Amino acid sequence: MPPPRLRGGGIILVKREVILIKGKFSKLLIKNFAEYKWNYLFILPKFLLFFTFIVIPVIWAFFLAFQEFGIFETKWVGLTNFKEAFTGDLFWIALWNTLRYTLTVVPAQIFIALVLASLIHPFSRKIQTFFRGAYYFPTVTSVVVISMVWRWMYTSKGLINYFISILNLGPINWLGSSNWALPAIILMSVLTPPGVGIILYLAAMDSIPESLYEAARIDGAGSITSWIRITLPLIKPTTLYLVVIGTIGSFQVFTQVLLLTDGGPGYATTTLVHLIYNAAFRDFDFGLASAHSIILFGIVLIFAFIQFKFLSTDVEY
Amino acid sequence: MKKFILLLIGIVLIAAMLAPSVLAESKVKITVWDGFRWPNEEGDKYHWIKSRIAKFEELHPAVDIELVEVAWEKLGEKMNIAIAGHDWPDIGPVDISDGAVNLKYVEQGVIEPLDSFFTEEELNDFFPAALNAYSYNGHLYGIPTSMTVHALMLNLDIFKERGVEPPVDGKWTWNEFVTKMKKLTFDRDGDGNIDVYGFSTYVLKGYYEAWPFLMMDGGKPLSTDNTKYTFDSPEAISGLTKFASLKFNHKVSPMEMGSADVGGCFQAFANPEKRIIAVEPWASWAIATLRNNKKYQMNFVVAEYPTGKTGESVTIGGSGGFVVFKQKDKEKLKIVAELAKFLSDAEQQYTFAVNYGTFPALKSAQAMDPFKDNPQMRQAAEMLKYAVSLPRHLNWPQIDERIQAQLQLVLNGEKTATEALKTAGEQVQRFLK
Amino acid sequence: MGFKDILLKIIKVIFYIILFIGAIIALFPLYWMFITAFQLPNEVFSMPPKFIPTVVKKFIPLLLQGDKEQAIFILTESLRNVKILFIDTGLYRWFMNSLIVSVVSTLGILLFDSMAGYVFAKKQFPGRDFLFWMMISTMMIPGQVTLVPMYILVTRLGIKGSLYSVIFPPLAMVFGVFLMRQFMKTIPTELIEAAKIDSASELSIYWKIILPLSKPALATLGILVFMSVWNSFLWPLIILNKDYLFTLPVGLKSLQDKNLVDYGLLMSGASISAIPMFIVFLFFQKYFVKGLTLGSLKG
Repeated sequence: MPPPRLRGGGIILVKREVILIKGKFSKLLIKNFAEYKWNYLFILPKFLLFFTFIVIPVIWAFFLAFQEFGIFETKWVGLTNFKEAFTGDLFWIALWNTLRYTLTVVPAQIFIALVLASLIHPFSRKIQTFFRGAYYFPTVTSVVVISMVWRWMYTSKGLINYFISILNLGPINWLGSSNWALPAIILMSVLTPPGVGIILYLAAMDSIPESLYEAARIDGAGSITSWIRITLPLIKPTTLYLVVIGTIGSFQVFTQVLLLTDGGPGYATTTLVHLIYNAAFRDFDFGLASAHSIILFGIVLIFAFIQFKFLSTDVEY
Repeated sequence: MKKFILLLIGIVLIAAMLAPSVLAESKVKITVWDGFRWPNEEGDKYHWIKSRIAKFEELHPAVDIELVEVAWEKLGEKMNIAIAGHDWPDIGPVDISDGAVNLKYVEQGVIEPLDSFFTEEELNDFFPAALNAYSYNGHLYGIPTSMTVHALMLNLDIFKERGVEPPVDGKWTWNEFVTKMKKLTFDRDGDGNIDVYGFSTYVLKGYYEAWPFLMMDGGKPLSTDNTKYTFDSPEAISGLTKFASLKFNHKVSPMEMGSADVGGCFQAFANPEKRIIAVEPWASWAIATLRNNKKYQMNFVVAEYPTGKTGESVTIGGSGGFVVFKQKDKEKLKIVAELAKFLSDAEQQYTFAVNYGTFPALKSAQAMDPFKDNPQMRQAAEMLKYAVSLPRHLNWPQIDERIQAQLQLVLNGEKTATEALKTAGEQVQRFLK
Repeated sequence: MGFKDILLKIIKVIFYIILFIGAIIALFPLYWMFITAFQLPNEVFSMPPKFIPTVVKKFIPLLLQGDKEQAIFILTESLRNVKILFIDTGLYRWFMNSLIVSVVSTLGILLFDSMAGYVFAKKQFPGRDFLFWMMISTMMIPGQVTLVPMYILVTRLGIKGSLYSVIFPPLAMVFGVFLMRQFMKTIPTELIEAAKIDSASELSIYWKIILPLSKPALATLGILVFMSVWNSFLWPLIILNKDYLFTLPVGLKSLQDKNLVDYGLLMSGASISAIPMFIVFLFFQKYFVKGLTLGSLKG
């Protein structure tokens, strides 16, 4: 029976869990294996693939952070890459930009998805399907296309400046000014409909039995109250999923920024993944890239922990 | 349903097994990467290298050459990973926009020096600037096949519309330039807003269209021995100040000038629906486009960058070509080097020049007069004399990034030239060691 | 038919209008993408944009006017991108490659991730939380740094350059497990207990109870995975060397010039690329059923 593998990658993680597992483990080893057989079998295919194509590369990348990568010889340099990462002139700016982006975009997108899904949910199946499609289809447009459209909208004589000229403001050099470039990119992300979120929320809302709402109505609850007291809590698992995945994704924002401003003007829109990308693909410094990645990973992990703490529930319908 | 899936998987298995063909053991296998060039009638952008490969295989029956087609934009990424994965090709192209052989690769030791494969005579046939771009520490690390310069493209229709004469012989001083730009900035439809601007360009790391302006008073990014940052000299500052004044004082440039939008900049100049900029600097690939591309065809001439205090025009040149990657087998190296030379001889360089809008790197190819019917290329070819190359410093990309970032902040009005160039200097110190 | 009912109806109508406007805004970039594919070369960047392509506006009127030549000219010009893509390039091969890769990956993930998600959601066993966190945390590592080790790994496994190298790595993706787990957590445990009492095997519980109840999640996951694999670009670009094995995004990219983006061609490619995803969506959306647990929550 394959024991949980405690490898290099695992050591960074949940130390507490490790100790707990070790304790639990020795006790349970003696117990009934047959009971757990099916559990492990069900996970096996996924785990084999996961281990081969994700864990092994991740471990390699992890060790690389402590080395100076060379084609013919790689030297062990301990924490030098991490020192270089933290003292880099761009690191803190990139971190700040990435934080600003994530902390705005993720809550906004989830809120919008929630509101839209809640608005769609009461309608008949046919109308639901129509809106589900309408809000999903845009996600099919590649990021490249969306970025190009927005870049065009942000030009000096583009759509956005046209709108604000009606209010007698501007024109603003959106993508060219240090103050407005990042907000412009954030706006683009927020206004791109969260099709995935809408679909997931709708799916979750669809699974809530009508009987709960009926019972609430009998007790005299209005629609807003039942939304707050019944719907929201019961879709928490979906919310947790969207928050965690959204955070992970936003922290890694890169392609849109590359297409719109390439990190500029100055460093106003440089993000953490920019640094990683440049270190790996321009400077051939894979060790530094790995060090940056581990730092990024650590930050996101902390966020994820907090999110799990607040949003994890054992909800059943 | 299950059967269908099994069938699918079966198909995939078979396809995967058929993919790598079985080669005769005795053949020498050479892998060549190339980016696309000009298309033939069928639209095949790789036809040039395919025909050269076929020719070489004819002459050398024991050699089997595999071509990998790579889009230029993605060449760097794909190449980096292949190299890191110890899976480099035998021959790879150098993107002419990069301007020179990649020093990081040379430093890592994955590029074969080719000195022993060239005679003194052959080496003398190369233009010194081209050879320089492929040399490092006294060795030759590749073969230059083409050269490029940056030049100003002038939309003659707008000049005519405003009754402005293009500069004689393509030469103008800074003051002449500004005067003309002012005349070319106007309100075309009478709505009170300026519709057409005299000049625009973009600022983006790795691109140098704007730099000859910064250098026109004598400013240089690094000292000749590449150990000191010199871009905060009074000459550089005055160059940058003049450049920024186009937008802020003389108002001959739109808000977009100095932004990172390369595509938008080109569209504003060349798209027939727009054409709202009279003059834009571009690398010489634009000449071929503005001449031949059905959509972007333009009535245009080429001019030099205006001269500043030094009285001499300056431009930035670069060189594209091929490199040979490290070989384990000395015998194979000989054949690969021969193939590399086969791809880069004078005949090929002439062909490139005629079809692809590049300048030859060989004097003998230039002597074949590829531009007899091409006045714009001939004008640009004159500029090769003034072309300087970028500093050959190992960390140039990082240095460049810092400088370009500060330049962007000058052109959006947030910093003065002095502040920007001084800040860049501080940031760049750690890379100069 | 009281005041309250009328108010509710009005609110519903307002919601509908808001949603509709939102949908229009949302669909705009997509619409622009499709029509750019058919714009005449000069009109791609018109400001204000030509919301209805010239070919649509003018083709029939021109025919009616008897100006056949001009009409045909406009038609062929508008379709030139389509011609380039379908005739001059290996689009068909790229399309099929992408199809094979995406379908196999999607089916594989639906199966494996639902199995794993079920276990993580409903079962206890030593190492469960540890394994789960290990999986989640690997998502937090930016893909760029694992490219090189993956490349070396794939080379050592001998599948470099073949379609296998783009089918297997996606099967390792983790977000599906997370998604299935979250959804399956909401399935009432009593159902599983009840089945066990009836001596159902683990497999049949999974197949007959869990899976049917998870249809919406499976449908969503299917759509997401298909889209992710279909659009994946960087890894296939790096690992595939043969033109006839390229997936669609890689093939389309090979047509693009570095400095001169041919927007019409780009959008045509993107539009063609988008079509299978619509089809996949339409296929899966019938599984978005309401109130699945209703039937099973008796007594």
